[in-house]
Amino acid sequence: MSFSFRRYLRSRHNITQGMRKAKISTGHKNTGVLIKQGLAGKVARFADFLKAHGFNVFQSSVHDAVRGLIKIDISKREDILAALRANFATNNLEWSLFEDLFDEFQHQIQLTEDTPQTELPLKREAQKELPDLEVFSDAKTERASEIEIEEKKEWLEGVAYSPVSTIEKKDLARFDKADIRLAQLALKKIIKTFKIHTSRRYKGKKRSGKIDLARILRQSLKTGGIPLKLFFREKKKRLKRLVIIADVSGSMDRYFRFVIPFLLGLRGVGSRAEVFAFSTSLTSITFMLRHMDIEEAITHISLEVPDWSGGTRIGYSLHQFSEKFGRKLLNQRTIIIILSDGWDLGGKELLKREMEKLNRKAKIVIWLNPLAGEPGYQPMCKGMKIALPHVDYFLPANSLESLIRVGRLLSKVMIY
Amino acid sequence: MTSHFESIEQVVTELAEAHYIADRALATVLFLAYQLQKPVFLEGEPGVGKTEVAVVMTRLFDTKLIRLQCYEGLDASTSLYEWNYPKQLLQIRLEEQDGKKIDEIEKIIYSSRFLIKRPLLEAILTSDEKPPVLLIDEIDRSDEEFEAFLLEVLSDFQITIPEIGTIKAKKRPIVIVTSNRTRDVHDALKRRCLYHWIDYPSLDKEYKIIMTKLPGIEDRLAEQVTRFMKKIRVVDFVKKPGISETLDWIQSIIAMHRQYLDEEVVVETLGCILKYQEDIKKFKEEIWANKDERATYI
Repeated sequence: MSFSFRRYLRSRHNITQGMRKAKISTGHKNTGVLIKQGLAGKVARFADFLKAHGFNVFQSSVHDAVRGLIKIDISKREDILAALRANFATNNLEWSLFEDLFDEFQHQIQLTEDTPQTELPLKREAQKELPDLEVFSDAKTERASEIEIEEKKEWLEGVAYSPVSTIEKKDLARFDKADIRLAQLALKKIIKTFKIHTSRRYKGKKRSGKIDLARILRQSLKTGGIPLKLFFREKKKRLKRLVIIADVSGSMDRYFRFVIPFLLGLRGVGSRAEVFAFSTSLTSITFMLRHMDIEEAITHISLEVPDWSGGTRIGYSLHQFSEKFGRKLLNQRTIIIILSDGWDLGGKELLKREMEKLNRKAKIVIWLNPLAGEPGYQPMCKGMKIALPHVDYFLPANSLESLIRVGRLLSKVMIY
Repeated sequence: MTSHFESIEQVVTELAEAHYIADRALATVLFLAYQLQKPVFLEGEPGVGKTEVAVVMTRLFDTKLIRLQCYEGLDASTSLYEWNYPKQLLQIRLEEQDGKKIDEIEKIIYSSRFLIKRPLLEAILTSDEKPPVLLIDEIDRSDEEFEAFLLEVLSDFQITIPEIGTIKAKKRPIVIVTSNRTRDVHDALKRRCLYHWIDYPSLDKEYKIIMTKLPGIEDRLAEQVTRFMKKIRVVDFVKKPGISETLDWIQSIIAMHRQYLDEEVVVETLGCILKYQEDIKKFKEEIWANKDERATYI
């Protein structure tokens, strides 16, 4: 595939060459400007293209990318790719997608460029002779991007422009393989909007804690260097601990894929959260999640957790939790999140008892049920019916939109 | 040797001369960082040579490396500057005995003698003559307040100390920010940087790295080790071994006076490459227990 940036530039170059020969002696600087103008349009279009594919593109990156391209020799695809990627990618997910998107963009541009070229040979001729008429090429670019936008309309509506978009409302279980990464990018964006602050910074305090020498001295200047008042400081600690108990049986792993990274990604909360997976019995997966990518972790859990995608015994699993971890994790500084559809094959009596215990000991119990997102949902299954009275918040977690609500709730209740 | 990055080719060769084997993409990023005076944001798994980039740049530009190791709770007073309060207190006492007035005392105690220069301030102060390399290591460990603060410093390398005034760097230091991706760093910071993801090296690249870092090594051992590492990185471990583990491993093998890899050596030195009990257990049970499997590794 011939490289169209290069082609584009070559034509630019020819133009300037022609201009030189014709009459005007343009300085070196002028050439740079011309190249820049052509490039800038292209880079801006590429930026839009990336945006449409869920990238987080900043205006300044476009500028910097152009500046970067001017500095390098643009004859190598590899170098252009590297220069653009350094400016546009902001995490390893985007990094890994970048090369394919870059090629796709090249391909598209070639298609759109080839059509007007055959249709408008005259204009091209005119362009060669009248180099300063940038307008023509701009018009061409615009037309091309129109075509592209038409093609990509679905994308644009889906991700880039409309805030409550289709992707946010789509059921998380219905994402197919190709969409998963896109949804994960969207999820990353959502996570960023929530800020749950924890801080280990020092905070002034009246009576106890460590002596705040800086403040004492500052204040003592008022009294001529004699410290009359003592000041203390202490570390702020303001976050509750999040404990997530996730059902991994049946089809729940599809929701698990999104809900868990979402919860763990919430700033300040995620790093301290404890995560457990259960189906017929309970396993701690905190360690695993901390060291692995979510997809990797899911494969791992399916191997390690007994009866993955088998029946569910919620009551017994909760019992295991309070037996093994209750002393450490169950107190008034804990918020419990249970992610389950509520289909339970275990003993009802045990479930009731354990839910009561959780509700009593933990500060807040939140139940996330993907099924609850469906219109007209009624807690029909027995497990859910038993558990519901002992739950403080019952929320659906079946789409990115509903996750936003979970995030909002958490940013309210996590702080104390 | 002081370097000026003129072209990407030059960066590639200079890095190689400085014993850092980099792919062209990284060279491009470093070249752009130098030309555009932007910080570089390096991400990647632990042990793939992120910090090493800063060290090599220091060598290439024959300058000083100023390192700021981030941790939770890092704040302006430990990263930028702090007044030496105890010393100031003592000075106040002394000056008072001399009968000096408050204004005079203030002038004395707020002079640079009483200023403790932390890495960021030092980077700004020293970059007037020869811009240093400022390494901000593991930014993901610091908290958000610090990130915001860093943003301010990185955008124009200007610091205002109320008692002294504004200090601005005439030239910009070369800034390298690294992250292990334990959390997402804020966009605003990334926006100001050139991003680069360092992956585990390819077979060929790792071999080159070994040969440049450990010149005296037997060809056979280097080859064996690279092949072994390539295979082992495909296995699902909690912590996959990076390049630093490879180098450590070879050094320990050499220290044991072995010339090549065999089954015995692998078991004895397993701790060099796998750092978690779970991984070692997994390796021994799932890979090393099987004879045929074992043979493919060596």
